[in-house]
Amino acid sequence: MSNGLDFGFLIDTFFIALSGVPVAMIITIVSLVIALPLGFLLALTRINKMPILNQFSRVYVSFVRGTPVIVQIFIIYNSVPLLLASIFEKYNIQMDVYDVNPIWYALIVFSLNTTATLIEVFRSAINTVSKGQLEAAYSVGLTTVQAFTRIIIPQTLVVALPNLCNATVNLIKATSLGYAMSLPEITLKAQVAANASYNYIEAYIDIFIIYLIICSLVEFLFKRMEKRLRKYKIAPAA
Amino acid sequence: MEKYFDAAYIWESIPALIPYLKVTFIIAGLSVLFGSLLGLILAVMKLGKNKIAQNIAHGYTTVLRCTPSIVLLFLIYYGVPAIAMNFGINLNDMSSAFFVVITFTLQFGALMSEVIRSAYESIDKGQYEAAVSVGLSNTQAYWRIIFPQAFVVALPNFGNSLLELMKEGALAYTIGLIDVMGKANLIIAGNYNSHALEIYIGLSIIYWILSILIEQFFLKLEKVFSKGKKNLNTV
Repeated sequence: MSNGLDFGFLIDTFFIALSGVPVAMIITIVSLVIALPLGFLLALTRINKMPILNQFSRVYVSFVRGTPVIVQIFIIYNSVPLLLASIFEKYNIQMDVYDVNPIWYALIVFSLNTTATLIEVFRSAINTVSKGQLEAAYSVGLTTVQAFTRIIIPQTLVVALPNLCNATVNLIKATSLGYAMSLPEITLKAQVAANASYNYIEAYIDIFIIYLIICSLVEFLFKRMEKRLRKYKIAPAA
Repeated sequence: MEKYFDAAYIWESIPALIPYLKVTFIIAGLSVLFGSLLGLILAVMKLGKNKIAQNIAHGYTTVLRCTPSIVLLFLIYYGVPAIAMNFGINLNDMSSAFFVVITFTLQFGALMSEVIRSAYESIDKGQYEAAVSVGLSNTQAYWRIIFPQAFVVALPNFGNSLLELMKEGALAYTIGLIDVMGKANLIIAGNYNSHALEIYIGLSIIYWILSILIEQFFLKLEKVFSKGKKNLNTV
């Protein structure tokens, strides 16, 4: 073990681990696409204190933020097949529950998880946009939908962007737990490659580098976007 | 294999798991202690004038923020003994708790360095100047004037980081630490992998209650300390 690193293996595994990046990216992007509108709508229900939905989203956020992601993964991974099995049985669908691609479970877990994070992000962001903005939009004759898409949402996004960046980076990091669902993403691929020869250190260095690259890229993109949106915000004001 | 949901397992699992919270707390406590120290050192580096130290501290924070806990955990678990071996120290028989504490100390240090830095920067520079001008020494000014105020600012973020640490701590089971999560997995293995769902639900209830308690505790703490802050502002 003290012979130093096996550089050949390090480089080979790097590309094996790299082949897991698309899976991680698909999960991240699909979860965000699902969670962004859902999080925004549920944040609105909390701000407007809608009767049942408000309490529901409160409990939901509290649960998701109060429990480890790995426990949530295990709960979904153990409960959804049970539900599916009973549904299949009822409607006589000939399909084995254990043939379901684990990516579906991952999508469920990470969408639910990200939605909860984004509810909080949007809630604090919407609160910073003053109420007068909405009233002003109404007074110049915009409908509610127009007022939101043209006035409220752009302003909210600018405020929410740094937190959105954090949420995205956390989501990407969390996808590394997909290995618990035997999801072939970055971590699992490298782990499997390392199992053969016990080169765990090299494998984890590879994973480490890949996440570092991805997350730095994401942060860079968000910084760019922040700059652009800030300009966009100032222009109409001037 | 028969798989039916039986709620009785949830209530049975909770009392079986609770004693193992002790391990979770010890790990979290040690990581918070060492992590806060590391965070303090990093924050001093970031706030200092030395450009190299600044870059090292910022680089460290960025790298740690981009690393999933599970990857860091395994990197430490396999990497530290290998490095120690080069110096002739055998760490292969060390308890896994040792590696868990190292991992979360490193991670918590990165979080805390940002918390401490932003808390320090939120304090008006005039406070320090005023303290020195009334004849306090440098240490006294920091200890009696800056620290109490920065502490109040840092409190909510500290609470959040602590919650984060506790949740990430659940991953320690992967290297064989028996905390609540590890015990839950042992119970499930003891049941021949049946009723896993019920036991994970029991586990999630424990974590949930725990985080609500910690959250409430920090809210109370914040209220107690910001009372003093208000007086300072009004005087």
